[in-house]
Amino acid sequence: MINCEFDRRRFLQWTGASLLATMSTQLSLESLASAASHSPLPAKTPILVLVTLYGGNDGLNMVVPFEDPVYHRVRSNIALSSSQLIPITHSLAFNSSMPAISALYKRRKVAIVQGVSYPDPSLSHFSSMAIWQSASLTGLSSGWIGRWLDQQPHNAFNAIGVGSNLPPAFVGVTSVASMVDVGGIQLPSGPVASVLPSLGHSSSSDVALEASAATSITDLFSTAKRLSQHIPKSPSGSWIGQQLSLVSAMINANVPTRVWEVNLSSFDTHTGEQGDQNALLADVDAAIGAFMKSISAGDRSREVTVMIYSEFGRRVESNASDGTDHGTSAPVLIIGNGVKGGLYGEQPSLKHLDPNGNLKVAMDFRSVYGGLLHDVLATPVSDIIPSWKKALSVH
Amino acid sequence: MTLTPAYEQRLATARLLHRFNFGPTPGQYSNLLERGLEATQSTVLVQGRNDPGIDSVKRLVLGDLGYFPSGNNQAKSNEFWNRIEKDSSDLVMWWLDRMVAAHYPLTERMTWFWHGHWATSISSVTYPLTMKKQNSTLRSHALGNFEGMAREMVVDGALNVWLNNNENYVQAPNENLAREFMELMTLGVNHYTQNDVAAAALALTGYSTDQSNGRVTLNPKEHFSVPLGILGTSGVFNAESLAKLVVSRNDNVQFITDRLWFRFVSGSTTPPATLAASFANRDISSLVNALVHSTAWTDPANALVKSPVEWFVGACRALRVRPSSLDANDTQWVLSQMGQVPFNPPNVGGWTYGTAWLSGVSFQYRYQLAQAIVAKGDLAPLSVQPLNMVQACADWLGIPEWSRRTANALTLALGTPSELALAAILSPEYMVSA
Repeated sequence: MINCEFDRRRFLQWTGASLLATMSTQLSLESLASAASHSPLPAKTPILVLVTLYGGNDGLNMVVPFEDPVYHRVRSNIALSSSQLIPITHSLAFNSSMPAISALYKRRKVAIVQGVSYPDPSLSHFSSMAIWQSASLTGLSSGWIGRWLDQQPHNAFNAIGVGSNLPPAFVGVTSVASMVDVGGIQLPSGPVASVLPSLGHSSSSDVALEASAATSITDLFSTAKRLSQHIPKSPSGSWIGQQLSLVSAMINANVPTRVWEVNLSSFDTHTGEQGDQNALLADVDAAIGAFMKSISAGDRSREVTVMIYSEFGRRVESNASDGTDHGTSAPVLIIGNGVKGGLYGEQPSLKHLDPNGNLKVAMDFRSVYGGLLHDVLATPVSDIIPSWKKALSVH
Repeated sequence: MTLTPAYEQRLATARLLHRFNFGPTPGQYSNLLERGLEATQSTVLVQGRNDPGIDSVKRLVLGDLGYFPSGNNQAKSNEFWNRIEKDSSDLVMWWLDRMVAAHYPLTERMTWFWHGHWATSISSVTYPLTMKKQNSTLRSHALGNFEGMAREMVVDGALNVWLNNNENYVQAPNENLAREFMELMTLGVNHYTQNDVAAAALALTGYSTDQSNGRVTLNPKEHFSVPLGILGTSGVFNAESLAKLVVSRNDNVQFITDRLWFRFVSGSTTPPATLAASFANRDISSLVNALVHSTAWTDPANALVKSPVEWFVGACRALRVRPSSLDANDTQWVLSQMGQVPFNPPNVGGWTYGTAWLSGVSFQYRYQLAQAIVAKGDLAPLSVQPLNMVQACADWLGIPEWSRRTANALTLALGTPSELALAAILSPEYMVSA
């Protein structure tokens, strides 16, 4: 069997975005803390958080057309049973691995944009992710957020990717977003912990380098303090949870960043899909639940919008390995206290498929971007996506 | 500030031990203070040909792993990459063990310096065997003649892979190796022209490296064998004659002298004009000897920050901990978070220096590493209770004098040897070699 696990490095090479991406600045938590206190993000500034699910997330087992007999017939080995569903309308249900997002939906904080893809969808991870991240069907090598960055006054904090891989969406023509690692801040604990802060005091006998070494000790303690009580003292929980808790801490600490990106891989469920996807969705759900709780308790409760997307959905009919092969359209979730929750677009038919047995496309992702560019980043879509005018507003 | 002779001796002794010998073993600092500065100078200069410390490190034998597995054989591919990972990890721990175990650490210390100078990263060389081969080349020339080192290094397999000499063809020259060889390794920037680089690249054509074992062979048919003009000299060149020519330039003398001064003495002062004379014959040991006997060691301006590896190795020596007795993955992960893992420099320019090593975030990793070392450490030197335990700690680690700040902090930790050790190796005085 060919290993289809999505490889971002190969993807970066494919898009030709790797050169500028290697010039991205790795920001330290100290520099974020310092920016937050010296040039905090002005109040009421909208913030966008992108959640990229690499590998092709199965939309049909995330937002499930559970009343459609076709769903149960063509997916008999992976269809979710009624105990694995949280119904939200008479015909649609969330996967029960997503209790937090279902609860947010019921409070009208979640927009489900159905059937999202683009004309003549590619079934290649690399091509399709390149199309989504560049917002171009013809191979623009810059990313959509990167082109937005190109238009902003230069500032290393405008857009930040979490982790050590920068998404190609964050690479512009002349600008590139920064990165921050999930390391978190671990304050020393244990018996000697009370002694360490005193090692950071300055001393009149210090030469300059000793003074810097002392400062490094003080910096650790003051950074942790300045990054507010929200900072995860030691990252724990799932990988996506660690990333999102760092982002909520930074937002609540007023770091001057307009766009964040976090990501999770392994959605390429060709085999044993139910167990794997349910576990991944549960991680995403718990992370989003904690994130929204933290944001709702802060000063920017209504300003933060999250978009969750993947490069494609999966084949309607399951395969013999209890999995699914590459597909086309799938729902995009947009979450936030300022979002008008509900269903957008329409659920593509499970009967009238394209020639490959895949869902038809009900909504172009560029319209979704258009709405976010307008409502969150105050930028006309045609400035970022050449000759595209449509914008789906969910705000 | 005028320094008392006693303090000057403490300062110079501490600097010589930390900078040329990875720091003192327990008791060594006090002992050398009694024996005087000359004894210290000759002690740090001993080259251990038969070093019982080094002999006690388990030999590391790496196999030639051959080509990457091709096709879709997932099991074979996993096996291959697991082996690469295991060998790489073993290689790092093996070298760290040697640095810590050496009774006469100068050779390992110089090899470490040259690794940063000819900075080659396993990230693109991939094969630990090929990196280990370069490591032994650097060790065998570490205190020898620089011309011999340069002649062997210009055809070193790891360096050739790293700087793309495998992609250097007469029809399509790749200048990477030629340029960095002159700019970063032998002459310094602006001491050659672009024409020299282009010609040197042609002189380096025809060499191809077997990446998995570092074997370099010259294929005469692929080699440019037409006369070239390089640095004002005409002739048909190969790698060896190119290296000879470049190292014979006067610029090489000052360049290498400056590099050693920068890494061993100070990033903010320049060497005295007379120092370079000791390198006139390209004899590395003569230059190191002159450095050790220079008057720089009592000048307060000549402070340096220890790099993460130097700090780690020093602490392991003081606490008699073999790095391989620590968790290999954790140790290398924490070192990577601090920014320095042997065999993996960030780029061909080598590692950074100075205050770049001193960030708050890196302190949390330093603390983790310190805890791991102390947990395995021999705390005997801290378990006796002399009248002045705080002073005894300074003598144990080779610190000329604690600041009042650190003396106060250590006083808080008195009574529990492990806490005292932890606070001492995390002190500002120990993070730097002031």
